[in-house]
Amino acid sequence: MKKRGIGIGSTFYGTGYGNGFPDVSKAIVELSQEGEIVLYVGATEVGQGAKTILTQMAAEVLGVSVEDITLVCEDTSITPDAGTAAASRQTYNTGNAIKRACENLRDEMIKIAVKQLGLNSSIGVKVENKKVYLNIFPDKKVSFKEIANLQGEETLKTEGIFTAQTTKMDEETGQGAPYWPYTFSVYGVEVEVDTETGLVEITKAVCAQDVGKAINPKLIEGQIDGGFAMGLGYAIFEDLGLHNGEIKHNRFTNYLIPTALDVPDLDKIIIEAPETTAPYGAKGIGEPVMIAVAPAILNAIYNAVGVRITEIPITPERLLKAIKDNGKNKLEEGKI
Amino acid sequence: MDVNKTYKGVALQEVLTLLQQHENTSKVIAGGTDLIIQLRECKVTPQVLIDVSSLEEIKGIEIIENRVSIGAATTFTQLVNSPFLNNGLEGLKEAAKSVGSPQIRNIATVGGNICNASPAADIIPPLLVLDSELYISDINKSRTISLEKFLIDKGQVDLKTNELLCHIQFNNIKNNQGLGFSKLGLRKSLAIARISVAVWVEVEENTYKQVRIATGACSKLGVREREVEALLLGKPVEEKTMQLGAEALKTQLEKRLAGRKGMEYKREAIQGVFKEALTKATYLSKT
Repeated sequence: MKKRGIGIGSTFYGTGYGNGFPDVSKAIVELSQEGEIVLYVGATEVGQGAKTILTQMAAEVLGVSVEDITLVCEDTSITPDAGTAAASRQTYNTGNAIKRACENLRDEMIKIAVKQLGLNSSIGVKVENKKVYLNIFPDKKVSFKEIANLQGEETLKTEGIFTAQTTKMDEETGQGAPYWPYTFSVYGVEVEVDTETGLVEITKAVCAQDVGKAINPKLIEGQIDGGFAMGLGYAIFEDLGLHNGEIKHNRFTNYLIPTALDVPDLDKIIIEAPETTAPYGAKGIGEPVMIAVAPAILNAIYNAVGVRITEIPITPERLLKAIKDNGKNKLEEGKI
Repeated sequence: MDVNKTYKGVALQEVLTLLQQHENTSKVIAGGTDLIIQLRECKVTPQVLIDVSSLEEIKGIEIIENRVSIGAATTFTQLVNSPFLNNGLEGLKEAAKSVGSPQIRNIATVGGNICNASPAADIIPPLLVLDSELYISDINKSRTISLEKFLIDKGQVDLKTNELLCHIQFNNIKNNQGLGFSKLGLRKSLAIARISVAVWVEVEENTYKQVRIATGACSKLGVREREVEALLLGKPVEEKTMQLGAEALKTQLEKRLAGRKGMEYKREAIQGVFKEALTKATYLSKT
């Protein structure tokens, strides 16, 4: 018989290294001799979209389009350290460093423009479309190229450093504030359990993810889809087959990961609650999007067949045994 | 020793001659989806490979009078897409569809699946319940053997090194007959069968006139479940009969897999898999 159930799983997750550990990101931005913007950052792209959103942030500060920015990434001989692409920290930590580096460059360019244009102050001076101009009198302007020419051989370069604020928690009591900021996430799933074979199918799913601010909604959806598929595999498929410490499932023939057919359409709800210390309010979601998937699935299984599973992955073999055992217990207790 | 010579056969006679010449040192390759892995793992060490994947004489599906003939080098994709297999044979197509992935189905062959003789081979249970006969040739003669007799043990078949499996034949399905297939894989595609069941039935006046059942991955090879078949013979088409068969299969597996790790699960799960296959077969026999 096939039984359906729904389940919810939710989580809050502290991004960054946390617990008082030094978490530092650095970035450098340069106005090249040709008047082009070059961004140097050691953040690693692992498919999450770091290169895209970090460039978007720089473009936003400097009033140019992303195509106008040359990104130099992942080359340790010329890029400053932006820490690891881990702990869901690049958007928040390195985003902040880039924003600061670009704000510093913008301020430097405004200073030069004020001097060059003979203005009284920097009030009402804007940076946009590769030029610096006075908003109330746009003819008063100087282009990025002209500013670059004024620099001569020595290009204009500014740095941005961001050090995250976290404190070490009390080792005795576990009390304290070891992480900042936190990301919040909720999954709802519907499952169909075959009570004769123990097979579980995820038939519907929805994710509501707090992102602070969606710098790039499409990439966020991609990250949520990826995290969901990974969490689904973690919950019902990926079994190492450990026997006395030996991994028996040591190939993809028996260590199963979900295929496209096993993953249903995921409804994604992006929640924006900007974080004040974050670049444009944006927080990392890389890890958070997979954490609540397995709890939601296990809750849905409980809702469908009334058995509480506390071990993953919940393979058909384990689930069928749990269903049978549950039936026997109820029979003994006289409940059915 | 490594493979040092490969032949791409274009005519049956030529291939049979080559097989004779390289009798003890050669292997036949069609899709290669099993063989290449075995070669890499040095489980087989032929010096000569004879490729039969382009051999038109043993490719494709034909209806000869009331017989269906499938060329051994027919791919699963060809089987799935064949217009010659009518609705009653849906279970055969379903088994073919459940093999691996589209890439594998595009090159892997029916004959290869049979000769590799994996206990979990998807196409074997439906061919067993169709009472399939295999047509085998060497350079001098041809012979036929039932699929059931052909399968000797896990990975072992009654095929001499100079012989080639050419065709698989079975009686075409009649209006009151149906073939159902159900496979329990751990995911929806690219899954090796944990259990598979094929059921062939002939229904008359709401009674099972003939029943054939075969299971995969429940023994060291695909097998006919004759004791269970006998039990269902002449029984009415109803829930009770289905339950009777399911429980009988459970008992079979308890005996056969006694002491083995998967027994406890398989004896339970086979009941659901069997019921699905029987339901499909019965439905097809009525439409």
